[in-house]
Amino acid sequence: MTLDQLPENKTGIIKQINDKNLAIQLLAMGFILGGEVKIERIAPLKDPILITSGTNYISIRKSDAKNIDINPDL
Amino acid sequence: MPTISSKNKPKNIVLIGNPNTGKSTLFNSLTGLNQKIGNFPGVTVDKKTGSFNYKGTKINVVDLPGTYSLAPNSEDERVAKNYIENTNKDDLIIVVVDATNLKRNLLLFSQIIDLDKQVLLVLNMMDLLQKNKQEINFDKLSKSLNCPIIPINAILNKGINQLKEAVYNYKENKNSFLINNSSKTIDETMLRINKINKIVDDVFTENGKNKSYLLTKKIDNIVTHKVYGYLIFFGILLFIFQAIFSWASYPMDLIDNGFSLLCDYVSTLLPEGIANDLIVNGILAGLGGIVIFVPQIAILFAFITILEDTGYMSRVSFLMDRILRQFGLNGKSVIPLLSSTACAIPAIMGARTIANYKERLITIMVAPLISCSARIPVYTILIALIVSEDESYGIFNLQGLLVMGLYLLGFVTALLSAWVMKLIIKSKEKSTFTLEMPVYRAPRWKNVGFEILSKVKVFLFDAGKIIIAISIILWVLSSYAPGNKFEEINEKYSNSSLDKSETNVLIASDKLEASYAGIIGKTIEPAIEPLGFDWKIGISLVTSFAAREVFVGTMATLYSVGDADNTLSIREKMMAATNHKTGEKIYTKATTFSLLIFYVFAMQCMATLAIVYRETNSIKWPVIQVVYMGALAYLSSLLVYSIFS
Ligand SMILES: Nc1nc2c(ncn2[C@@H]2O[C@H](COP(=O)(O)OP(=O)(O)OP(=O)(O)O)[C@@H](O)[C@H]2O)c(=O)[nH]1
Ligand SMILES: [Mg+2]
Repeated sequence: MTLDQLPENKTGIIKQINDKNLAIQLLAMGFILGGEVKIERIAPLKDPILITSGTNYISIRKSDAKNIDINPDL
Repeated sequence: MPTISSKNKPKNIVLIGNPNTGKSTLFNSLTGLNQKIGNFPGVTVDKKTGSFNYKGTKINVVDLPGTYSLAPNSEDERVAKNYIENTNKDDLIIVVVDATNLKRNLLLFSQIIDLDKQVLLVLNMMDLLQKNKQEINFDKLSKSLNCPIIPINAILNKGINQLKEAVYNYKENKNSFLINNSSKTIDETMLRINKINKIVDDVFTENGKNKSYLLTKKIDNIVTHKVYGYLIFFGILLFIFQAIFSWASYPMDLIDNGFSLLCDYVSTLLPEGIANDLIVNGILAGLGGIVIFVPQIAILFAFITILEDTGYMSRVSFLMDRILRQFGLNGKSVIPLLSSTACAIPAIMGARTIANYKERLITIMVAPLISCSARIPVYTILIALIVSEDESYGIFNLQGLLVMGLYLLGFVTALLSAWVMKLIIKSKEKSTFTLEMPVYRAPRWKNVGFEILSKVKVFLFDAGKIIIAISIILWVLSSYAPGNKFEEINEKYSNSSLDKSETNVLIASDKLEASYAGIIGKTIEPAIEPLGFDWKIGISLVTSFAAREVFVGTMATLYSVGDADNTLSIREKMMAATNHKTGEKIYTKATTFSLLIFYVFAMQCMATLAIVYRETNSIKWPVIQVVYMGALAYLSSLLVYSIFS
């Protein structure tokens, strides 16, 4: 499953990021492989989304979220 | 004191760190300067330099844009990375980190250590650490990282002296973080992160709730809400507009009256003649035309600074990204576009945070279409010519509505122009919107005050200098004529049958027309006649190219002819002005509207063009900007003039 499919307020674990530049950027912003990620808010027009991992709190576009493989928490 | 400072050789220190960690706040408290600070990532987009003296040693400080790692994603991050990579061996790098988020912040630190640089680690935001009930074992952390650590609170100046002392006493130190750092790969980065996390877990303890983060989430539940989010944003915009164009009128009236008194007083002080004319009508009237707008400028800057200080701007970017994308812009264009209402220059530089070059370029190209503070004087003077202060439409003041209409016109045109450019400019580069949402902070009133003060100073002095320079040039150009034109005019009226004062008015206006300024105006008159403009307006279009605020002073100088005792205000003079050919009033509804529209669209600001040139590194873009905005201005004015006449 990829991050863009996760509904609001749900969490998952980041497995892999399939775009090298995006991966390095997200790692540096605190979204690490094996770390938790939560969808805080989907923008009113369905894109972009607000995500958190711990107290790291950022906005990304769905097109980038599609490149993030996750294991959703049940 | 050269004797003291020559004792020791100067040291260089460089501030670097993640965005929004307080580097510029620290820079300001070290150097006593007033670099811009704000609560969003990407406030500083260029390197800034300053210095201080400590125990007889001069210490040069460089403040860099923030960056999350040494793999930059945008121009501002590239500036930081390039600077760090090219520092000298004995330059001391101060990595400023947010103490409440060590794990993330230390990645950059570890990368810089491995560049083989001399590093000192500064933990900022100690107040927040306490508030969030977090603790750090400094000694242990310092040992694990093999690097001196200084905890500080940059806002309250705590720990600054210890930092200076540490810089002064810094001993060269060989250090490395990862043994085999190959390239900037995902694996390598994860190795670093895992090592950092182990170290931090060992020294960092949390004893309660992270209050600032929880509060931030609560506020965001409302601020980014599907409905309230947009309502709040437009509510705030309306509120700012109301404040600028209605509440500011009280202090403005006071200033207006004060200046009239000053002008009267000065004109009686000086002997009658041309110099009196220059000082009273050119310089004083021109300056008065600017000073009166200080309350509006101050209010505008106050609100923008408050919005930037709280962390709200990042949320607006989030809400607007999807919409702006449609027009070839980016959510990150929000800050440049909103701050363009104050001035396009910092706005254009701020576009550096937009990673995608095409979106950044489009933001730069359309930002000057947003009405800036320099247009406020022009709009106000011109609108007063066609509607009186107490006319209203329903419950709305008509002057206010018109100003709002001009702002909207500028904004909508910026969006449409962006859309057109999106279709024309080709780019395969990916567009992203990856932006950190900072925790909310209360606005710091001292910062707001400083920001207002410095912006008003720039507005007054920079504009003031231009106004004085242009007034003098204009005065010279209008006081001299080629050949013996002036004598011929004197001759022509020498045996006129009219009484003396009437003759003088005629002589003065003929002379202005024959002067160099008149010749310039007359030369462009045929081109602007279809827009309803005469040669005097032509002259002011030329002088406005230096800066739009000059319009008021130019008008004052040109229309002072025939008002020997300086009793009339600029507005009254303009109202009374008539066409030299037809004898009809110049500022009819058609001409005034046409001129207003011209000022909304035309690219009349040298300083902005210079910045566009610098930021795009090519003469092509400022030229295109002048041409497309000029064409837009000309055609719209033509249209408006023919509709109303
Ligand atoms: N609570 C607290 N806030 C701080 C402290 N130092 C700075 N800030 C705030 O942090 C925010 C960012 O400050 P800046 O100095 O602009 O940060 P910067 O690192 O220069 O940011 P960029 O230029 O965007 O990289 C501002 O809102 C400051 O008021 C501190 O010690 N404590
Ligand atoms: Mg800064």
